[in-house]
Amino acid sequence: MSKISAVLIDLSGTLHIEDLAIPGAQAALELLRQHAQVKFVTNTTKESQSLLHKRMIKCGFKIEKNEIFTSLNAARDLIVRNQYRPFFMVDDRAMEDFEGISTDDPNAVVIGLAPEKFNDATMTQAFRLIKEKNASLIAINKGRYHQQKDGLHLGPGAYVAGLEYAAGVEATVVGKPNKLFFESALKTFQDDVDFSTAVMIGDDVNDDALGANKVGMRSILVKTGKFRDGDESKVKNVADSFVEAVDMIIQNRVNM
Amino acid sequence: MRMRSNEKSGKGMSNGRAVNGFLLDITGVLYNSIYKSDGVAIAKSAEAVDFLYKHSNVKFLSNAKGNSNRNVARRLQRLGINVREEDVITPAPVVAQYCREHKLRPHLFVREDVLQYFDGIDTSSPNCVVMGEVEEGFSFERINRAFRVLIDMPKPLLITMGNGKFFQRVDGPCIDVGAFAAALKFSTNCEVLNIGKPSRFYFEQGINALGMKPEEIVMVGDDLMSDVGGAQACGMRGIQVRTGKWRPDFEKLPVTPDLTADCLYDAVKLIADNGFRL
Repeated sequence: MSKISAVLIDLSGTLHIEDLAIPGAQAALELLRQHAQVKFVTNTTKESQSLLHKRMIKCGFKIEKNEIFTSLNAARDLIVRNQYRPFFMVDDRAMEDFEGISTDDPNAVVIGLAPEKFNDATMTQAFRLIKEKNASLIAINKGRYHQQKDGLHLGPGAYVAGLEYAAGVEATVVGKPNKLFFESALKTFQDDVDFSTAVMIGDDVNDDALGANKVGMRSILVKTGKFRDGDESKVKNVADSFVEAVDMIIQNRVNM
Repeated sequence: MRMRSNEKSGKGMSNGRAVNGFLLDITGVLYNSIYKSDGVAIAKSAEAVDFLYKHSNVKFLSNAKGNSNRNVARRLQRLGINVREEDVITPAPVVAQYCREHKLRPHLFVREDVLQYFDGIDTSSPNCVVMGEVEEGFSFERINRAFRVLIDMPKPLLITMGNGKFFQRVDGPCIDVGAFAAALKFSTNCEVLNIGKPSRFYFEQGINALGMKPEEIVMVGDDLMSDVGGAQACGMRGIQVRTGKWRPDFEKLPVTPDLTADCLYDAVKLIADNGFRL
């Protein structure tokens, strides 16, 4: 089996749950760094790199801000590469990650999570750009819904699906589990990393484990966070937690 | 007057089939809508309506879902288009009747003006969501409330008044209820029942109101897929007008109108001059 040279690690549910680190995860991370390069990858539509970084520090992890790669960063990459001038439907807290991007005369619609923008006027504005100016539709992710303190909330996927239907287009989705995301994340490593020598550690069977497998990476599903009984039957490598996942990598016990 | 219609219109008209009734779409055919105003009449649509009342049979089959039939008719009258309230068909009363017949308890996500049609219908512990007009006051809170009602149902059902992608306002195209139905379907996997054009059930309301066979009727609309294609699928003939939301690229779409005319008046005149045959 080819040796693992790079590891992508999910944050929430894998290294920590809210403000608590998974027991032993900080030390395991230090150990892993001696064997492979690491990056921290997460789907987020509303939290900037620095916000996420602060939380990791608070949980006791030694992590640099630029080691975190989010779906917002992947979106920024895509925007820069294609010279998009976006109309943003994105939470204000996340806009920090798009600093310096021109929004004049928009040629793209970028959708994150922004409940206050899910109304007829803003949707019509986005629709007209797509329909009349051929603007590209970009989804930071396509989540269906999520839990908040006061109950369930529609996710950005709903807005995206609505615009896809109305304008007759298909959105480019940049978050996990899309190939583009894993590709962009691997490109942030100093050395060229091939999919076959990289592994993804995460608690989401679809977005993390199967998503990585689909692009030719290996993956380890951890039984913490959103892991549900039965998920283990869908994947090749399962670990009780991040700590065991690190052991598997060091001992080169991660199956293709 | 001179006719300008597509190549189909000239051929074989004289041995066409009889046209005994007209179903007319309203927005984009009789008038163009303007945000927060009555809108503006489309040239000669008032004459066309008068002519049809006098010489043929006419009903108005609209997907308008923000106003009662009375207010739809009054608005047209204010624009000088003499449409009678009793000849207007809109989805809200049809949906209300459907709820009564199927013992549905709707969560109502509709404009105030159409609430009257749902008087007497039990709306406690809803087993479906009814969605109407999306223009104005369509906030995240309101759609999220509809979402929560749907996601809690064992078999979520969303009834929409039409499933249009967009409607044309004078300031540009505006996203329509179909987009929000697609949004809710994506997030809840609900069944979507459209009671509005192009559903057969809804076209049948128009056919029944005219009291004739579909083959005798022509439907005139500005939406190729919904008005023209929908009517054709029900056995009527579909006429496309180049007003309202009409776009030149409609020609690439997989529906061929039985006639294309620059406006309602032109279409009516052409058929009338041909002895009410098409």
